[in-house]
Amino acid sequence: MMNLIKKTLGRLFKTYPIPNPSNAEELRLNFKSRYHHFKLLLNANNRCLEEMAEMEQALKGDKTFGMSFVRTCCTAISVNVLTMINNMEHLAPDKYPDLGPRFDAIRTQLDHLLHPKARIQEERLVIPFDKINQEMANVVGGKMAKLGEIKNQLDINVPQGFVITATAYERFIHLNDLQDEIDTITQASGADDLKQLDIISAQIQQKIITAAMLDGLETAVHKNWDLLEQNVNRPLQLAIRSSALCEDSLESSFAGQYRSELNVDQENFAQVYKEVVASKYSVQAMTYRLNKGFRDEDIAMCIGCMEMIDAVAGGVIYTRNPVNADDDSVFINSAWGLPKLVVDGSDSFDLLAVSRKQPFTITRRDIGEKTIRYRCSHGDGIEKVPVPENDRTQPSIDDNTALELARISLAIEDYYTIPQDIEWALSQEGRLYILQCRPLQQKKRTAPAPDLPGLDKPLLSGGITASPGTATGPVYRATRDADILWFPENAILLVDQARPRWAPLLNRAAGIISEHGGFAGHLANVAREFSVPAIMNIQGAIETLEPGDVITMDADTCSVYKGEQPAILAKKQPARPSPMKQSTVFRLLEQACDLIVPLNLIDPDATGFRPGSCKTFHDITRFIHERSVHEMFNFGATNNFPEHSSKQLHYHVPLNWWILNLDDGFTKTMTGPYVRLNNIASHPMLAFWEGFILVPWDGPPPVDGRGLMSVMFRSTMNPSLVPGVRSKYADKNYFMISKHYCSLNSRLGYHFSTMEALVSGRAEEDYISFQFKGGAADYDRRLKRVHFIKEILETYDFTVTVREDTLTARMEGQGTEVLKTRLMILGYLSLHTRQIDMIMSNSRRVGFYREKIGNDIDEKIIKPHFNKEEEHHG
Amino acid sequence: MKILLVDDEELFRIAVAKQLAVRGHTVHEAGTGEEGLAMACDLSLDVVLLDMRLPGMNGTATLKEMKRVSPLTEIIMLTGHATVKAAMEAINMGAFDYMTKPMGINELIYKMEDAYTKKRLTKQQLKVTTTPVNNR
Repeated sequence: MMNLIKKTLGRLFKTYPIPNPSNAEELRLNFKSRYHHFKLLLNANNRCLEEMAEMEQALKGDKTFGMSFVRTCCTAISVNVLTMINNMEHLAPDKYPDLGPRFDAIRTQLDHLLHPKARIQEERLVIPFDKINQEMANVVGGKMAKLGEIKNQLDINVPQGFVITATAYERFIHLNDLQDEIDTITQASGADDLKQLDIISAQIQQKIITAAMLDGLETAVHKNWDLLEQNVNRPLQLAIRSSALCEDSLESSFAGQYRSELNVDQENFAQVYKEVVASKYSVQAMTYRLNKGFRDEDIAMCIGCMEMIDAVAGGVIYTRNPVNADDDSVFINSAWGLPKLVVDGSDSFDLLAVSRKQPFTITRRDIGEKTIRYRCSHGDGIEKVPVPENDRTQPSIDDNTALELARISLAIEDYYTIPQDIEWALSQEGRLYILQCRPLQQKKRTAPAPDLPGLDKPLLSGGITASPGTATGPVYRATRDADILWFPENAILLVDQARPRWAPLLNRAAGIISEHGGFAGHLANVAREFSVPAIMNIQGAIETLEPGDVITMDADTCSVYKGEQPAILAKKQPARPSPMKQSTVFRLLEQACDLIVPLNLIDPDATGFRPGSCKTFHDITRFIHERSVHEMFNFGATNNFPEHSSKQLHYHVPLNWWILNLDDGFTKTMTGPYVRLNNIASHPMLAFWEGFILVPWDGPPPVDGRGLMSVMFRSTMNPSLVPGVRSKYADKNYFMISKHYCSLNSRLGYHFSTMEALVSGRAEEDYISFQFKGGAADYDRRLKRVHFIKEILETYDFTVTVREDTLTARMEGQGTEVLKTRLMILGYLSLHTRQIDMIMSNSRRVGFYREKIGNDIDEKIIKPHFNKEEEHHG
Repeated sequence: MKILLVDDEELFRIAVAKQLAVRGHTVHEAGTGEEGLAMACDLSLDVVLLDMRLPGMNGTATLKEMKRVSPLTEIIMLTGHATVKAAMEAINMGAFDYMTKPMGINELIYKMEDAYTKKRLTKQQLKVTTTPVNNR
């Protein structure tokens, strides 16, 4: 006890030797420079915390982001952690040598995560179909690998052709130094801003189209093209089809997202190649990749070049019903001419269902009215022509062809053991060709709803379920590409044709209604992937449905109702899983977060609180932040420099509050041991103090009649209130201040709190952070108190997290006035929540304190500083 | 504050230069690393905004040379395509910061002010520590 009195008296009457003037000038400058490094360190710490919060927010799964987001966050955090380490080195040279190696170790892991660069082990630029198999998907793309496999393993008839490999793509991109440019352009974009994406897409595509062609590639292609022509002894036009890596998988079909060019002449090859490569950056493909979380660099654009079949009929086969897992019929969609009409969803076509039981039989025959067809033009390209009147309602294939198609497709399904989505064509010579096959995702059909009494007759019914589920929203009629930009969130997309160009709207549309198309089109395919309910081929939709009117659609029964129909929606709410959460980019963000965000260094008094224990970047920032405050505080005392040694706050009497002026925190130079409140120039400290002394504390313990000052004096001078764990700073509350900055470490009662605030008028940089822990009560009651404080702080717009009995609150991006009132609130709470843990098991008293605190804050802090934005708290 | 902008995107230079000039700073511009380096030798610059991606001499090489010829000038690196590796390299070579485009103009200006303060303080400290005591 005597020691303590001596120590306290010693502190009160401490005298400082006066440094000589030249030393003083050097010290002053040195201190100024240290303070600047400290500010830079705090700034970097703040940036780290902001970026970490953004990463954690993204991990909730409701944000769409690409690799540039992950890279930008990781880079910003790495830069700022390194900045903190460098500035710490200025504050305490050579004192923490382990920080650098810890940082390097974590950063190296992060680097490996972000740049795994696996090179494709393939030298060939072009590979003929007969040399291709399933194992080569990473060289020729999934689409062409499957085609090669069924040709070479099952002897199924596919057009002759060859593939331009991923190696060719990579060399083409490398030759023109495009990847860095693409990354730079895409970094500026967000998936939500389609307008921006539109501009970016055009910029990148332009760069690719005007890029130089790879020398060896043209030679190799012409050589292979000539060989195909020699086989048939005539000039050949080819179909140039995208076959990007990661395309055509079960979860991500990329259906219709990339470009294919049909009926291409050999002399136009170079231009067409670049156009198909450029289609990797079409708005719809970029949106699809972003929404599904694919990394741009993982997707090389391989290209299949195959003999063009000028089909008399063609279409798409589903070996099972995609919207009803219980239906095992084979569905053949067929149109006159090229199969493009079916996948584009641009007209009506025939649908035949074949039972898979031997002998195959046709169980359903819907013959559509087919008004148009695609055919090869005489020169390059294809053209749309009307179907002769007599053929319009005739089946586009006969029964034998349908049964043969069923046989071929079931052989493919049998080989791959999962349902298939197969594109086919019937040549002028009557030969069937398979042009593409990919796994088919099946949706479980929702059980039919029982009759709902009181439900009005539907506005519309009919058509085909392209993607099951129910939805409600206002009708938005889209007719041109610009509509994509204006499409409102959660509206029902109403279109004439089910074209793939509407795919970018799938993360915004509540449902899709199309007058044409079927369940085999690209848009239908992608709608199922995104679980967006869709009805296709529903007649009279455009005439009946008024834009802006709210409707409810039931895709299972193909009915559309007026208004919002809770009865329908309640029975069958569609589940909208986040495709992001299963994606590569999402997983990468998770792994990056594991190296960055978790905080293991919590207790500064613990023995493990040292650089060597830092497991994450957050640990490093926490350690540096904590130690930097101490380094700053110690400077004056260590150097016998009174100007920048701490002063004791004199407020009526000397209090156990010690203040270090970092720069311009005092109104004048203070030479003695004390500083009075009217000499304090720090705005944040004054705001905190104003809140602290605003309302006298009236217990517990109960007021003893000596008023506020006695209570404060007692609480700050009574050593018995200091908790058992002692550190250098356990027995005093200390502020570090400048005009705009204030940091407070305090122990009031048995709890420990730190507060830091920058209120400089730079709204982008200003912040308050507050941490609170400990208490004298048992863990359960301490925890309750922490949650009690959390609730109050959240009411006043702090972002609060609680881990064990430690509460952390932050506020940023607010104006000066708001920050000042929040500092007052923290000052008020610092006094009024101490020892409140003791009553946390008594709900009546908790309610009393909650109300009293709420009233005090609203009446005495918010109202006098009233402004409109605070109205809801008043 | 005497500032140099080194970026091959003229539109970006014009936009930033305008904002800085309005705030009373002296702004010089360069479209290449070589040009920027020549200016750094001739002018006594406070802060340089230097793009990583430049035709000819790239940002990193320019940074290295600038730090050699004008060690007190603070250099802020800008990039359109952030990578941890390039950022670490830049900071370890003495860049004041490494920022990702697009950034807010306020954020950029605050950063430059901080860089300028650092330069000023370092200069003052150097002056004090290199002046003989009896001359102070």
